Amino acid sequence: MNYVRLAARDLLRNPLRLSLTILAGAVGVTAFIFLRTVIDIFYFGAQAAQVDRLIVRNKVSITEPLPLSYYARIAALPGVTAVTHQEWFGGTLGETQKDFFANFAIDPVTFLDVFPEFTTSPAELADFRNDPCGALIGEKLARRFGWKPGDRVTLKGQIYPGDWTFNVRGIYTGTRPGVDTTALVFGYRCLNESEQLPEGLKDMVGIYAVRVDDPARSGQVAAAIDGMFDNSPYPTKAESEKAFQLGFVAMSSAILTAVKVVSAVILLIILLVIGNTLAMGVRERTRDIATLRAMGFRPRTVVMLVLAESSVIGLMAAALGVLAAPTLVNGFARAIASQFGQIPDNVMRGRTLGVSALAAVLVSLLAGAGPAFRAVRMSVAEGLRKVA
Amino acid sequence: MSLEAVPAPPPMVRLEGVSKTYRRGTVEVPVLEAVDLAIDPGAFVAFMGPSGSGKSTLLNLISGLDQPTTGIVEVAGRNLAELNDRELSDWRAAHVGFVFQLYNLIPVLTAAENVELPLLLTPLSRAERRKHVAAALDVVGLSHRVGHRPPQMSGGEQQRVAIARAIVTDPDLIIADEPTGDLDRKAAEAVLDLFGVLHHDLHKTLVMVTHDPHAAERAERVHHLEKGVLQ
Repeated sequence: MNYVRLAARDLLRNPLRLSLTILAGAVGVTAFIFLRTVIDIFYFGAQAAQVDRLIVRNKVSITEPLPLSYYARIAALPGVTAVTHQEWFGGTLGETQKDFFANFAIDPVTFLDVFPEFTTSPAELADFRNDPCGALIGEKLARRFGWKPGDRVTLKGQIYPGDWTFNVRGIYTGTRPGVDTTALVFGYRCLNESEQLPEGLKDMVGIYAVRVDDPARSGQVAAAIDGMFDNSPYPTKAESEKAFQLGFVAMSSAILTAVKVVSAVILLIILLVIGNTLAMGVRERTRDIATLRAMGFRPRTVVMLVLAESSVIGLMAAALGVLAAPTLVNGFARAIASQFGQIPDNVMRGRTLGVSALAAVLVSLLAGAGPAFRAVRMSVAEGLRKVA
Repeated sequence: MSLEAVPAPPPMVRLEGVSKTYRRGTVEVPVLEAVDLAIDPGAFVAFMGPSGSGKSTLLNLISGLDQPTTGIVEVAGRNLAELNDRELSDWRAAHVGFVFQLYNLIPVLTAAENVELPLLLTPLSRAERRKHVAAALDVVGLSHRVGHRPPQMSGGEQQRVAIARAIVTDPDLIIADEPTGDLDRKAAEAVLDLFGVLHHDLHKTLVMVTHDPHAAERAERVHHLEKGVLQ
């Protein structure tokens, strides 16, 4: 007999209630991990951003274009090692969102200079560059639709009306984990030289991506770019790639705040569920606790016994939740990968699991504190009079 | 040859001008009034009286579970008012054993584990604790019930386990609150016989509250309480 055994026996007084409490806690932990991972997904683009890249967009709005003529002027700036441009095409394969994938018009010649994390074979790259309407597709996208070089893909334009057919010339992969391989990119010429191009969009691009020689001078380069076009009809906003990605996150700030609030609410629910179980357990044992104290057990010992029970419940709930979370979270990530693009295969981070487990244990301890201190606040004589 | 008188040993329990008043809302309810009492070491004293006469309150004061409103409570040479909560816990663990009317055993622990509980507060090793537990259970004649849990035992057996728990730390004072109140006559006799052993053979100081005149007869001295006043 020792204190651990005593706490274990107390904990196992009502196995059904204990099991249900642990299960409820585990469901809460899983939900918490899920929501925290959703938040991580929003920030994934920003985390994957490179420090030596700037993004230049129209100062008015991301949806406003910039002239193609800016390319040469940006490329000539000191500190700039490479420049490329891209245009969000927004074409859809089918009628439903399920068929959606990201697609851009890019400059085939300069794109890989600025985004070296995308790679393809030299032969496929050459084919891609030589075909004005050639396309490179990410390996995940190729797997998803079973496409291969030589296939033709027709997308229905939303921003650029009409059907647009591209020739798959190669499949690109990522040089590191986290590179988006779910997109289709095609040559800008196909768009710019098409008769289908709406009026006013000729020789216009969406954004410029700029690579700098010294990340420490990114701010100066950005200021120089903006200064160069300040008084033009198309003023620019140059910022780090991370800031640009965070700008997208900011657009979803209301959703993110809601997700954060719900995840906090889940912790509160775990607290209430475990707190309720412990309160019931302690109330049922009021006389036993009073007996222990009459025998000479110090209040601190009684508090520690109750907190030991609550921490065990928290640990079990955390362990079960952490075990269950990967299936749910990775399944969700796969389901939304087409909309979000850059989601790594194993989207759930060890840190998220660790923080969630720690939060569950801390919340359980907090839940046990109330009943524990209530148990020792009651006078021993009064506790001894209680009949279970 | 010297004929100097041998000084009498100090009393095990000494109450001087003890009163206790409870406050219920704005009303003050006196429960004990000006109680003076001395119980010698090794004595077996019973308190009788109707419900609400203050018997249990008196036991709580003697065992350090409650504090008097006025007066002094001295047990085993210590003025209990001088001890803080923690010191009182330690003092009870070292000096007092409890026997309750409803036995107050922990239902999820075996008889041996229940008896071992007070020993967790001592520096004894596990092996030493086991030896003490076996000895205590032997005294109460329950060596064969070591692994049984309270729900698997009769009321009389449970009370004997409770007595084993009360004596396992070898305390100076055993406090028994209606120890036979929930037992049939035969089981009550067995418990009272055990009290006789504790008193006569082990020289323990026993303070018992009872409604049962038959139980009170076993004590050396019987005090009556009437509306908080010691008769």
